[in-house]
Amino acid sequence: MAFSLRHSKALSMSAAVAAAVALAACGAGKNDTGSNSSGATSTGNPITVGTTDSVIALDPAGSYDFGSLTIEENIYQFLMQVPAGAKAPQPDAAQSCDFSTPTTYKCTMKPNLKFSNGDPLTAKDVAFSFQRVITINNPNGPSSLLGSMKSVKAEGSDVVFTLKNPNDQTWPFVLGTSAGPIVDSKVFPADKLLPDDQVVGSGPYTITSFQKNQLAQFTANPNYSGPNKAKTSQITMKYYTTSDNLKLDVQNGAIDIAYRTLTPTDISSLKSDSNVKVLTGAGGELRYIVFNLKTMPGDNEAQKLAIRRAMAYSVDRQDLATNVYKGLYQPAYSMLPQGIAYATEPFKDVYGDKPNPAKAQSVLAAAGVKTPVALHIDYVSDGHYGETSGDEYNQIKRQLEATKLFTVQLQGTAYTTYSEERVKDTYPIYQLGWFPDFVDGDNYLFNFLNPTNFVHAHYCDNTKPTAPCIKDGVLPLLTQEETKSGQARAEAFTKLQKILATGTMPYLPLLSGNQVAVTGTDISGVQETLDPTYLFRMWLLSKS
Amino acid sequence: MATTKTSSGSLRSYLITRLLLVIPMVWILVTLVFFVLRVVGNPIKSAFGQLPPEEIARREHAAGLDRPLITQYWSYLKNVAHLDFGVALTDHTPISEILRVNGAATLELTFWAVVFALAVGVPLGRIAARHRDRFPDVGLRLFGVLAYAIPVFFLGLLLKLLFSVQLGWLPVSGRASPEVEVAINEVTPNTHLYLINSILYGDNEYIWDVIKHTILPAVALGLLVAGIFLRLVRVNLLQTLRSDYVEAARARGIRERRVVRKHAFKNALIPVITVMGLQIAALLGGAVLTEETFEWQGIGYKLVYYLGRQDYIAVQGIVTAIAVIVALISFLIDVIAAVIDPRVRY
Repeated sequence: MAFSLRHSKALSMSAAVAAAVALAACGAGKNDTGSNSSGATSTGNPITVGTTDSVIALDPAGSYDFGSLTIEENIYQFLMQVPAGAKAPQPDAAQSCDFSTPTTYKCTMKPNLKFSNGDPLTAKDVAFSFQRVITINNPNGPSSLLGSMKSVKAEGSDVVFTLKNPNDQTWPFVLGTSAGPIVDSKVFPADKLLPDDQVVGSGPYTITSFQKNQLAQFTANPNYSGPNKAKTSQITMKYYTTSDNLKLDVQNGAIDIAYRTLTPTDISSLKSDSNVKVLTGAGGELRYIVFNLKTMPGDNEAQKLAIRRAMAYSVDRQDLATNVYKGLYQPAYSMLPQGIAYATEPFKDVYGDKPNPAKAQSVLAAAGVKTPVALHIDYVSDGHYGETSGDEYNQIKRQLEATKLFTVQLQGTAYTTYSEERVKDTYPIYQLGWFPDFVDGDNYLFNFLNPTNFVHAHYCDNTKPTAPCIKDGVLPLLTQEETKSGQARAEAFTKLQKILATGTMPYLPLLSGNQVAVTGTDISGVQETLDPTYLFRMWLLSKS
Repeated sequence: MATTKTSSGSLRSYLITRLLLVIPMVWILVTLVFFVLRVVGNPIKSAFGQLPPEEIARREHAAGLDRPLITQYWSYLKNVAHLDFGVALTDHTPISEILRVNGAATLELTFWAVVFALAVGVPLGRIAARHRDRFPDVGLRLFGVLAYAIPVFFLGLLLKLLFSVQLGWLPVSGRASPEVEVAINEVTPNTHLYLINSILYGDNEYIWDVIKHTILPAVALGLLVAGIFLRLVRVNLLQTLRSDYVEAARARGIRERRVVRKHAFKNALIPVITVMGLQIAALLGGAVLTEETFEWQGIGYKLVYYLGRQDYIAVQGIVTAIAVIVALISFLIDVIAAVIDPRVRY
């Protein structure tokens, strides 16, 4: 029997499926909806933002992560916050804040503030908000950020914080972190977390729909009377797990903004697409190499220092930023990334911004180090510091070996094992990265340089005179930057950064993160919010 | 009459036996999941390895992970028996909530994938059998092998590149456009099945939006099983066409097309039902990759999400739930097969 399409019902059924695809095409490109499910008055065209971040919780006492803070930033108010483009916090819900005694920090509230449900926002709510973070002490929460707070109380329209350390210059920054959102004391329980679908804030936006890590819809808060008035009344946040779908959707116009995080390859490809804008701003993330001062190569301290300095002369940060990260990172010549107040570039001044093998060789020769020096460098292989860490360290290996002064053996390890092993002196030279808790220089230095530092690479294990940090004289400078303001603080930061490049040099800063967002050509306001705070200020966004 | 009694009695005893077998099957599955995940490592350290040891210890105590393993196991079994699969460590979401919300998404995707697989695999298998060893048969067999062999995520990428990026006909990912998704999740009752929700919402544009988002994931996943159905129907139909009763029909002068349609085809479909049961596990496995490829927020998507965050409590809960679902569906398929085909119960 001859095969005949005409007589085959079966093929017709198969064709029907193909027809469904074609039929779908007929409706493609149509603007499906434009309704505002909340019924709020519409201002500006609705905007959809895509992100690969995820949300832990919308109750501030139970979250301390980028995904949650991105929402909290927009639905809650803070006493103080760093405005877009600024480097220091300014009053937000507070009218003014200052030290009334060395250990007392007092904020006076703005009058007539209201939560989105109409409840008045008072100093009592603020004290309640901070106290419940401590009381709940949730494992995923930000209570650790309030380590320097002894107590908090409301006195009329004032909020009074008693601090453990006098003149704590980091405290105003802490008020704008994940620990600082102000919640409604009539709605939030004092001793446990509130479910995501019941949270109430007083920020520029309210949440009108929330499907965790799937979709969130924000509508301008009609009760908000602060300076951050929303330019767009309705913003939707769509959550992705893979950056390739995020990239395709922003490219196709299915979403308006792709914010955190596209891969270097995606960004490189999008730069040549005329339908989108690739926007870059300074970020606060730092990538650096740690030297274990006990186990790194070198027969004595002088040789070890020479090897560290020779490596500093040999790495090419610009090459890493351009060829490995395609602009996602920029060279870092200090432990304080550019964009942070008081940041300088001592590593550039001392070692230059291009590899200098001749200098590297002379440093090694002066210390009597035999070349090539065999280096064993460890890095995190499972994406904890990004999927491109392997490429980054392979490039560093090529750079170091190109000088003929080093031979490099690389070893990648999953972060869980890595984090345990690195503090046991297992790794002589290794990768680490730092995301700041808040954008003050102290957060980039204190955690690395004080005797209780988290690195444990023998730079500052104790306060004995032989400890390298004591020899370098960093501890008095740390105290100075923590407790003094103005010129004295600026001087301390400048000196600390310089010592880190010219003294024992326990760390080699490599790259600091750029923030990248990709938007449609009709979107504005994104560039303004891309700063080291990592705050995504939705109120600045608009669509023409 | 006596025959009917014997028949229904054997069916009853068959079903009871099968039902009783589900219990040890589920027990073995949940036990394996529990101990395999404990072998992998400490769930708290995996999820929060960067925290100080004292904080890790505090969290282990809070999660009951500092108790003897057998105590943990007993508590876990009791909770599973009450359908309590725990709470995710990283984002506090109850696993039962994930099963309710994301499970509906997987159900919807799997349903449409099966519809597609049947719509494509069964008729094409019939055509292949009718044209045995000729060009259509060879071509369709090749198609069947390719459909089965091609990795589902790769097929998904190809479909996206063609229909979404190049042609711009269909959306890249998701279950609906963001605005539609927000709106249809507000309907009452919220079934979490988007096609039903969009119908309840009553806007044709929304229904169309949901259908457009469903096509590519359903095709990608459905093709995997369509290839199996195609080959199965072909083989069974060829066997049936050689059987005595079909020869008898031919001898009576009935035309070949009618012989195939009326006498052979229905009987050839019986094994497909049994194989469908076996394919449920394959479909759920394929759904993990399909959901990831298309950002389809089903339980497979959530499984990958929590694996990425090394949240083994969530992984344990989801895998246990999937194991229970597969066991129950296998039982249901056995029941259906036994009702349709009396040979099964003897």
